[in-house]
Amino acid sequence: MRPCGTFDERYGQDMAIFRIKRHWGLLIGALVLLYIFPLFGSYYFISLINHLSITIIIVLGLQLVSGYCGQISFGQAAFMAIGAYTSAILTGKAGLSFFIALPISGIVAGLIGLGGGAPSLRIKGFYLAMATIAIHFVVMWLIPHLEITGKTQGLHPPAPQIGSFVFDSDERIYYIIITVMLLMAYGARNMVRTRIGRAFVAIRDNDLAAEVMGIELYRYKLLAFFISCFYAGIAGSLWAHWIQVVHPEQFTLLHALNYIGMLIIGGGGSIPGVFFGVIFLRLLEEGVMFAAPLLAAVFPWIGIHPAASMSVSVFGIVLIIFLIFEPRGLAHRWEIFKSSYRLYPFSH
Amino acid sequence: MKEFLQLAIPGLMIGGLYSLVAAGIVLVYKSTRVVSLAHGQLLAFGGLFFWVGLVVLHLPLPVSILLALICSTLMGWLVERLTLRPLIGQPLISAFLMTFAIFMALDGVFQLILKGESKTYATLLSLGEFEMMSVPIRVVQLISFGVVLFVFLFLALFFRFTKTGLGMRATAEDHQLSQSTGINVRTIFSLIWIISAAVASVAGMGTAYVMDIHFPLPYIGIKGLIVALFGGLDSLPGALLAGLILGVLENVFAGYLDPLVGGGLKDVAAYVLLLIILLIKPYGLFGLKRIERV
Repeated sequence: MRPCGTFDERYGQDMAIFRIKRHWGLLIGALVLLYIFPLFGSYYFISLINHLSITIIIVLGLQLVSGYCGQISFGQAAFMAIGAYTSAILTGKAGLSFFIALPISGIVAGLIGLGGGAPSLRIKGFYLAMATIAIHFVVMWLIPHLEITGKTQGLHPPAPQIGSFVFDSDERIYYIIITVMLLMAYGARNMVRTRIGRAFVAIRDNDLAAEVMGIELYRYKLLAFFISCFYAGIAGSLWAHWIQVVHPEQFTLLHALNYIGMLIIGGGGSIPGVFFGVIFLRLLEEGVMFAAPLLAAVFPWIGIHPAASMSVSVFGIVLIIFLIFEPRGLAHRWEIFKSSYRLYPFSH
Repeated sequence: MKEFLQLAIPGLMIGGLYSLVAAGIVLVYKSTRVVSLAHGQLLAFGGLFFWVGLVVLHLPLPVSILLALICSTLMGWLVERLTLRPLIGQPLISAFLMTFAIFMALDGVFQLILKGESKTYATLLSLGEFEMMSVPIRVVQLISFGVVLFVFLFLALFFRFTKTGLGMRATAEDHQLSQSTGINVRTIFSLIWIISAAVASVAGMGTAYVMDIHFPLPYIGIKGLIVALFGGLDSLPGALLAGLILGVLENVFAGYLDPLVGGGLKDVAAYVLLLIILLIKPYGLFGLKRIERV
């Protein structure tokens, strides 16, 4: 909400995401900081940002299909795997450049994702969620059984390369990852304001009413699945070339469940919410990693390595708390903070 | 034929347990319209409590069964009271996500207790085995199959002849109408979670005998969901039949096709079946088809 007396005089002003000069200043400052960060940042933070950015891309895709279009998908990890394997095969076996393989792997994941969206013609809500779980298991069963995916050994994709410059370290591939992440976020933020995005919201709020209004339900649902799987595929490709190992163990149902959790905590139907959710959960995980050895020292009966199981538990409990007390997620809190900051010292 | 029976009869035994898990899910769905992912954990903890009683505390068998039942019902009640009751009136999908959050929260606790080990009580309870039509059958499995049938019979009688059971069926039809006839819907919700947790823990004791208490045990809950969907989410007979069918199909498919495709088909067969069901008959074998209005 904006204080009274703020008027938009031109269409451009009304549509702007960054309305005033201060916003632009903050944006440019943040971008510059992000791009010069490897010059002084430690290795730990650089790889943390790499990981965060890839997760943000996946959850952005999930946000479009689940948060905006209302079709809950548990298959995001499997589609990420498809993207990662496609990219690894194209670069490793066919010898293509990474920069060509990146969009192709997104498109391949998207096209296979259309198969995931196909049941949405007849089923929705919980039924569709179950169908995506089934798709996850079928895909993750197929991968270690095919010859082209390296069976259970996995694949080792090469590092991206421009000319003789090889992006083989965390600091170097950092630039690729954050650039792609920013582009994808920009795309998502704008897509939800177009005809497509508004159709998604209409389908989420009431699909029958949306159909009556003239939205082609099936086409838009399939489109939502295509876009979300495209995002997952891109993220998978980045992941493959960052870690340089692709293995079925990296894409479990637990990962997909984590992405759903990030979406809920961040807040459905909000692009900034994706950033909040991913960063919040990731920091929580780091906190548990830090606290778990201390707890294990105080209470020896919980075992030597409690971090993995404790982070799952903490994740579940935080999710329960959010679902009960703040179902609209951190994004809603952020909106409240923004409007109270803008209206200060008045209440409305 | 012998080979088929060797695959089908153990499948039938496992299938009985699947249908028991599905029964817990169907019970909750019928009354509250919430699809529960949390039942896998209720099942796993049922097995775990039983193991604690039998192996850790060296209690006699009936006492350990009682202990497991009491602890699980308490857990079912707590789950309903603490997490699902605040969501009454919210969209159903958020209740579904809540059960998924419960699954995660309990999964961490389960793994923390196991510490990556695998617990078993199969050796303590082995009553030997006998051969029927040249297929070896373990006596304990036969007993647990009998228990499954007994539980289903009990549920059928309960819903037909007791006042509470009738109240639950009324609640399943319409929450507001049943409230106006004097049924306390909240109490019914609590009760249904308690009953379904007890059913799940019985299933857990049986399942843990077959596949040990190990980290994948809670994921049997997903199998239970598949069975519940296959049979129709609001049909108890459907759950029984679908569980038996899935158990047999899984084993037979794996037995005949595994050598051709290189193993692991047992885990994926259920999901392929689920996809086919959802595409052809989304409301399951005996499920009620609901018509939506805007």
